[in-house]
Amino acid sequence: MEGLERYRGIVQDFERFVEAMAAPLPVTARINTLKTDRDGLFCRLKEAKVAFWPFSWYPFGFSLDVEKPGNLIENLMGHIHVQEEISMASPIILAPKPGERVLDMCAAPGSKTTQIASIMENRGLLVANDPANNRVASLRSNCERAGAINVVVTRYDGRRFPSSKFDRILVDAPCTGQGMARKDFSVLGRWSLKRSLGLQRLQRGLLERATDLVKPGGTVVYSTCTFAPEENEAVVSWVLDQVPGVFLEDASIGGLEGSPGLLEWDGFRFGDEMERCVRYYPHQNDAGGFFVAKLIKE
Amino acid sequence: MSQSSLKNKSPFQPLDRAEVAGMMQSRFGIAPEAFESVSFYRRGRNVWAFSLPEIPDLGCESVGLRFMSVRGRVPKPTTTALQLFGRYATKNVVDLSSDRAEKFVAGEGQRLPAQVEDGYVVVTHRGDVIGCGQYLDGELISQIPKERRIGNDGACNGSSGGGCR
Repeated sequence: MEGLERYRGIVQDFERFVEAMAAPLPVTARINTLKTDRDGLFCRLKEAKVAFWPFSWYPFGFSLDVEKPGNLIENLMGHIHVQEEISMASPIILAPKPGERVLDMCAAPGSKTTQIASIMENRGLLVANDPANNRVASLRSNCERAGAINVVVTRYDGRRFPSSKFDRILVDAPCTGQGMARKDFSVLGRWSLKRSLGLQRLQRGLLERATDLVKPGGTVVYSTCTFAPEENEAVVSWVLDQVPGVFLEDASIGGLEGSPGLLEWDGFRFGDEMERCVRYYPHQNDAGGFFVAKLIKE
Repeated sequence: MSQSSLKNKSPFQPLDRAEVAGMMQSRFGIAPEAFESVSFYRRGRNVWAFSLPEIPDLGCESVGLRFMSVRGRVPKPTTTALQLFGRYATKNVVDLSSDRAEKFVAGEGQRLPAQVEDGYVVVTHRGDVIGCGQYLDGELISQIPKERRIGNDGACNGSSGGGCR
């Protein structure tokens, strides 16, 4: 379990954490309410004799007992989107409303984009941005399968996204991905402090630009799927220091177990407001690892 | 590149909604109200459906959903467009049993008696739209894009009959 030892002091039940990290992830999916509803989808799954278990904390998520969920006809129909449970948290905290202007700054491959489109009921504008040429094809394909008609795809470097104003922005930043180790174990071996610090520069630039682009009173959600404080609290607290008039709101979700953000790390104090961020560890919800912060612009 | 130059160069040209809705009404009997909050644009030989009457002032790779192709003799709706709007169709709809649906999503053609006109049809399974098919001389030809097809070893394993709608 390379690179995890450094979290012994901050993760409660550290042994259970390490154990959970070694176990495979449950297969989970989200109901696409642009094309179906909960009753209709669950009825189809029952008739197809697919065993499933709705999440306790989110009515549109469920786990299912299928080896290849991508081969279900419900997936081809766009009634479900195969998506890791914990990654459904950040669009819920973003809480977009139908008709708003929303930016998903690092959108590929589009799991959270299509979840946002579904919460927006296909109305308003959702800009799905991603600079990576090789990832835009999967982003577009997922948006089409979801039936999202309110999405435009752009390919800017998020740090230089053109001036425009948004009600809400999701910055689901590129990260070292330690929280996805249950899906791809090799991420742990690739982690180094140098990589975290390299990404930190990019993450700070992306989040700072997002605070420029959001309207007064608007919401910016910052999320990563890594445990490294260098890429989480150290990014959020830096932006709060740089940008006046931005503050944190509670990012927790009822029924989903998480831990508060770190107030300090490695001798550096981030500030007491960091407890409004949420860290999710794999053993808490038998899911992936995740970090979410909710920033509000005055 | 300035924003205004991007806007002027937008390859998406606005289309009259009534014209596109009219095509869907004449072929599938879909009431034009189904498209009330949709704007249509044309780029090349494709029609796109989008939520807003104006394209944002950004360099857009794509705008909404690819809705139909106007390349052929008659317009061909995309599978994803029918998955969204095909539920409002009142004619030229073919509902398949689970066995037949399995063949359809694998991309196989099949002989099938159906009360439809030759041409593009909405194909459903238990009342839910799978996608676009082409009905020709008693044969149903799958129009599911190759990359979305599910092979015969797939998990399309529903029992036949029943209905969730």
